[in-house]
Amino acid sequence: MTSAELTRRIGFATAPPAALAWLCVLIFAGVVTFAKTSLPWLQIYPASGVIPLADWVNAAIDALVSVVEPVTRGIALLLEWPMLGLRDLLQWTPWPIALLAVALLAFHAAGLRLALLCGVALVYIALAGFWHQAMNTMALVGIAVPLSLTIGLAAGIWAQRTKIGAGIVPPTLDMMQTMPTFAYLIPLLVLFGFGPVVGLIASAIYACPPMVRNVRLGLTRVPSEIAEAARISGSSRYQQLFWVELPAAMAQIKVGINQTIMAALSMVIIASVIGGFDDIGWEVLSTMRKARFGESLLSGAVIVILAVVMDRISAAYAGRGRAQVGTTAKSWQLSPWTWATAGLVAFCLLLKALGLDLAIDGPAWAHEFAAWINTQLDGFVASSGQLLTDLKNAAFYYYLLPIRIGFSQAILPFTWGFTFTAEMQWGYWIALVLLTGLLILRGRWRSGGALMVAGYLLFFGLTALPWAVFFAWALLLAWQLGGCRLLLFVGGALAFILVTGMWERAMLSLYLCGAAVAMSFVLGASLGVWAAASGRVSAVLRPIADTFQTIPLFVFLIPVLMFFQVGEFTALLAIIAYAFVPALRYTENGLRQVSPQLIEVAVEQGCTKSQIFWQVKLPLAMPAILVGLNQTILYGFAMLVIAALVGTTGLGQQIFLALGAADTGLGLTAGLSMALLAMIADRMLQAIARQRFEGMQ
Amino acid sequence: MFRGKLIAAALTLPFALTSAQAVEMGDKDEPIKLAINEWTGQHIATHIAGETLKRAGYDVEYVTAGYDAQFTAIADGEIHGTMEVWSSNAPDLWIKMAEAGKVEDIGPTGIEAREGFLYPVHVKEMCPGLPDWEALKACAPLFATAETLPQGRLVDYPADWGTPGADRLTGLKLPYRAVPAGSEGALISELKASVAKKSPLLMVFWQPHWALSEYETEWVNLPKAEDGCFSDPAWGVNPDGLNDCDFSEARVFKVVWKGFDEKWPAAYEILQNISIPTADQQAMMGQIDQEGTDLEEVVAKWMDDHPDTWQAWIAPAQ
Repeated sequence: MTSAELTRRIGFATAPPAALAWLCVLIFAGVVTFAKTSLPWLQIYPASGVIPLADWVNAAIDALVSVVEPVTRGIALLLEWPMLGLRDLLQWTPWPIALLAVALLAFHAAGLRLALLCGVALVYIALAGFWHQAMNTMALVGIAVPLSLTIGLAAGIWAQRTKIGAGIVPPTLDMMQTMPTFAYLIPLLVLFGFGPVVGLIASAIYACPPMVRNVRLGLTRVPSEIAEAARISGSSRYQQLFWVELPAAMAQIKVGINQTIMAALSMVIIASVIGGFDDIGWEVLSTMRKARFGESLLSGAVIVILAVVMDRISAAYAGRGRAQVGTTAKSWQLSPWTWATAGLVAFCLLLKALGLDLAIDGPAWAHEFAAWINTQLDGFVASSGQLLTDLKNAAFYYYLLPIRIGFSQAILPFTWGFTFTAEMQWGYWIALVLLTGLLILRGRWRSGGALMVAGYLLFFGLTALPWAVFFAWALLLAWQLGGCRLLLFVGGALAFILVTGMWERAMLSLYLCGAAVAMSFVLGASLGVWAAASGRVSAVLRPIADTFQTIPLFVFLIPVLMFFQVGEFTALLAIIAYAFVPALRYTENGLRQVSPQLIEVAVEQGCTKSQIFWQVKLPLAMPAILVGLNQTILYGFAMLVIAALVGTTGLGQQIFLALGAADTGLGLTAGLSMALLAMIADRMLQAIARQRFEGMQ
Repeated sequence: MFRGKLIAAALTLPFALTSAQAVEMGDKDEPIKLAINEWTGQHIATHIAGETLKRAGYDVEYVTAGYDAQFTAIADGEIHGTMEVWSSNAPDLWIKMAEAGKVEDIGPTGIEAREGFLYPVHVKEMCPGLPDWEALKACAPLFATAETLPQGRLVDYPADWGTPGADRLTGLKLPYRAVPAGSEGALISELKASVAKKSPLLMVFWQPHWALSEYETEWVNLPKAEDGCFSDPAWGVNPDGLNDCDFSEARVFKVVWKGFDEKWPAAYEILQNISIPTADQQAMMGQIDQEGTDLEEVVAKWMDDHPDTWQAWIAPAQ
C-alpha cells in the first residue's frame, strides 16, 4: 500500500505514537471495507449479539412497581393536594388582581419599567383568552420550583460536604441533563400513575441541576475566614452551615434559583404531552396537532411571556442580592409593601363579593388574527413552493445525503447530474491518498489523518460506515484527547449502544445531529462575531435569541413543515433554530470580554483590524467559544427528540414509540444511548479545551 | 346517520326490556371523569356523552389525557371512561389493561371509520389513472422526492401509530417508500402545503376528520379487504405476501373503568347506549375547527336540536 511506503520513508522512529496508531486504524478501515463479504459482522453488528436489555428493564420495573407502588402513589397524592389547592386559588383570583400582584412584585424587584413590562405582558394573556390555561401552568410551576429548590439545596450541600456526594452528584447531573426528558416520563408514568403529578415530578427532577451546581459553587466560594470565624465563635456544624455559609453563598444560590425556575417552566410545557391539566402546553400541542400556525403562535406567545416575566423578576432579585449583601430581609416588612398587599387582597375580596365574572374566553380578535396568519402562510407556500423545494433539494443533494450515505451512493444523475463512475471513484481515492501523503511528508500528520478520515467518511457515509471502523476511530480519538480514562468512557458508552441494538438508530441520530450542529455553530458563531462588533446588532439579536429559546419549538415546526414537508431537512432546520443560540451567546460574550488593554497593545504595535481579530481576539475568546460549541451540541441532542415529531427515524423516534407503548425499557435504552452520544461529544470537547487552555498558560 | 341510528336502536331494544325495574343511579355525587384526547372528533363525542350524563342527573368532569397515557388512568379508576378508541390504532396499553381485566370495552361509539391512501383531487390531473391503485405504479416518479429517490413517497402514520402504509406498499409491491409523518400536525401540514402548492401527495389518512371537509380529497381504490388478506399470503394480487389489500374497517369503541357499572349502574347503561352519527360529528368538527365556534356551544346546540336521539339513550336506564 502507498501509505505503508510513506511510513517507511518518514521512519518509524520519528513518527509520534498517535500517528502510527492512526495509520493502523486507517489500514484496519481499509481491510474491513474490502473484506465486506468475508467479515460481515464487522460491518453490521449481528442481531445475535444484542442483549435484550429493554426486556430486562421492563421486568425489573414491573417487579419494582408492585413493591413501591403504594409509596409512589402516596407521594403523588401528597403532591396533588397542594397543587390542586394552588390551582384553585389561582383560578379563583380575578385576573386584574393577579396582574396587579405580579406588577407590584416586579416593581419591588426592579422598579417601574419592569412593572410596566410585566403588566402589559399579562394583559395580553388575559385578552387573548389564555388566562385559565396560564394559571394551570403556573400552579404546576409553583409546586415544582420549591420542590426542585429543596432537592437541589440538599444535593448541593451533600456534594460539597461529603466525598461520596462529590463522587455521585456531578455524573448524575450530567446524566439528568443529557437524558431526553421524554425518556424518563415513561417510568414516572408507570410509578406515579397518570396525571399532572407526573409532569410535576419530571419538572422537579429536570430543574434541580442548576440549583445543585450553584449551591455547590456558592459554598465552595465562601471565604474560609468567614467559616473560621463561625467556628471560633463556637457555632455547631449546622449553625455554621445554615446561619453563616449559606447566607454568604446566597448571591450565587440566587443565580441557581433563577435558572431552576426557567428550567421548571420549560419542562412543565414538555410534560404536558401526558395531559391531565388543561395547561398552556396542552393548548400549544393541540394547535400543533391541527397544524394551525396562527393559533399556536398566539398560545406559544403566552409561554414566552410567562418565561420572560419569571426570568426578569427572579433575575432582578438575584442581582439585588448580590448588590446589597448585608441588609436584613425584615427591613421592608412594615413598609408600604405590606399595605399594598393588604389593599390588593381587600380589592380582590371586594371584586369577588360583587360577583364580577371577568373571564375572557376565545375572543374574536384572536381568532381573526390567527386566521389572517394562516392565510398569509398558505399564500406564501403557494407562491414560493418551487423555490422552497429547490432549496430543500439542494441542501439534500449536496449536504445531507453525502454525510448520510456518502458520495458513493449520493451522486446520481438525478441528484448531481452525473454518474459517479468507477474511474471517478478511483480518481477520488488517488487524490485523497496523494494529498494525505503530501501532508504527512510535510510533517503535518494530524491534518493528513483528519483528511483521510473525512474522505473515507464522505465516501461511504456515516450510516453506511462499518461499526468496527467507527468504533476504532472514536476510541483512538478519545485516547489521543483524554488518555486512558476518556478511552474507557467512550469504549464503554459505544459498547452499550452496540450491544443494546441501538447502533443503527444512533448513527442516524448522530448524522442528523452532527449535520445540524455544524450548521448551528457556523450560523451562531458568525452572528456572535457580528453582534460583538456592533452594539446595535447585539440589541436586535438578543430578544430574537431569547424568543427562540423560550417559545415551545412545536410552534415553529408547523411553518417549517409547510415549507419543506415531513423529513430530515425540516428536522435539521428545527434543530438549528434551537441550537444556534448558545453558539451566538458564548461567541459574543467571549469576544466582548477580551481585555481592552491587550487590544490597545496590538493596535500600538500596528496590527491591522483583521490581524487583531484573527490573532488576538479569536484565540483569547476560544475557551468561551468552545463552551458555546459544547452547549450547541447538548442543545442539538435535546432537540433531536422533538424533531422526531416531523418524521425522523433515529433514536428520537424510538423514544416516541416507547412513550406511546409505555415501554420503559425501550425508552430508557434509547434515551440512555442518546445521552451517551451527547456525553461523548461533551467529554471530547472538554478534553480539547483543556489541552488548549493548558497550552495557553 | 342512517346506520348509526340503526345501531342505536338495536342497542336500546334489549336494555329497554331489562330495565323494567329502574336501574340504580349509584354514587351520583361523585363526578364521572371522561377523558379528553388529542383530536376534535373525540372532544365532540366525549362532550355529547358528558352532556347526556349530566341531563340524566350525573356530575361530569372532563380531564385532558393523552390517547396512550389515558389507559393507566382508566385502569386505576382516576379517569372513568373514554369515548373513541380506534381498533386500527389501539395503544399497547389498552391491550395490556384489557387483558388484565382493568378496563372494559362497552361497544361502538357509532362512528363509521375509514382509513386508506388519500390524495388531494388536483393530483388526479397529474396521475390520470387514479383512483385505481394500479395507476400508482406508473406514477411513482411523480411522487418521488429527494429523500425517497428513485421510489415514490408515501406519507405514513407517525411511527407510534404503527406502519400500515409501509405494510401495504410491501404487500402490493408498489415502488414507493413510506415516510413516517411523526405527528398528526405533520400529516395536516403535508396536506395543506400540497393543496397550496398544487404539488403531488399520497398519504395514509382516516375519516371522520375535519381536514376532509376542508380540503377536497379522494381515496385510492385498493383491493377490498377480506380476512384472508391479513393471514393467507396466497390471497390477493401478491401470491406470496400479506397486506395486499385496503384497510379493514376500523372499529371505534368506548372504554370504561372496570368498576364503572358497580358505581354508576345507570350511567353505565347510558354510555353503552350512546351512538354518535358520523355525519353529525364531522359537521360539528367543521364548525369547531374551521369556523372557530366553541366546542361547548356546538355540542349544546346539537343537544337542543336532537332531543329524541339522546333521550333514547337515557330512557332505558331510568
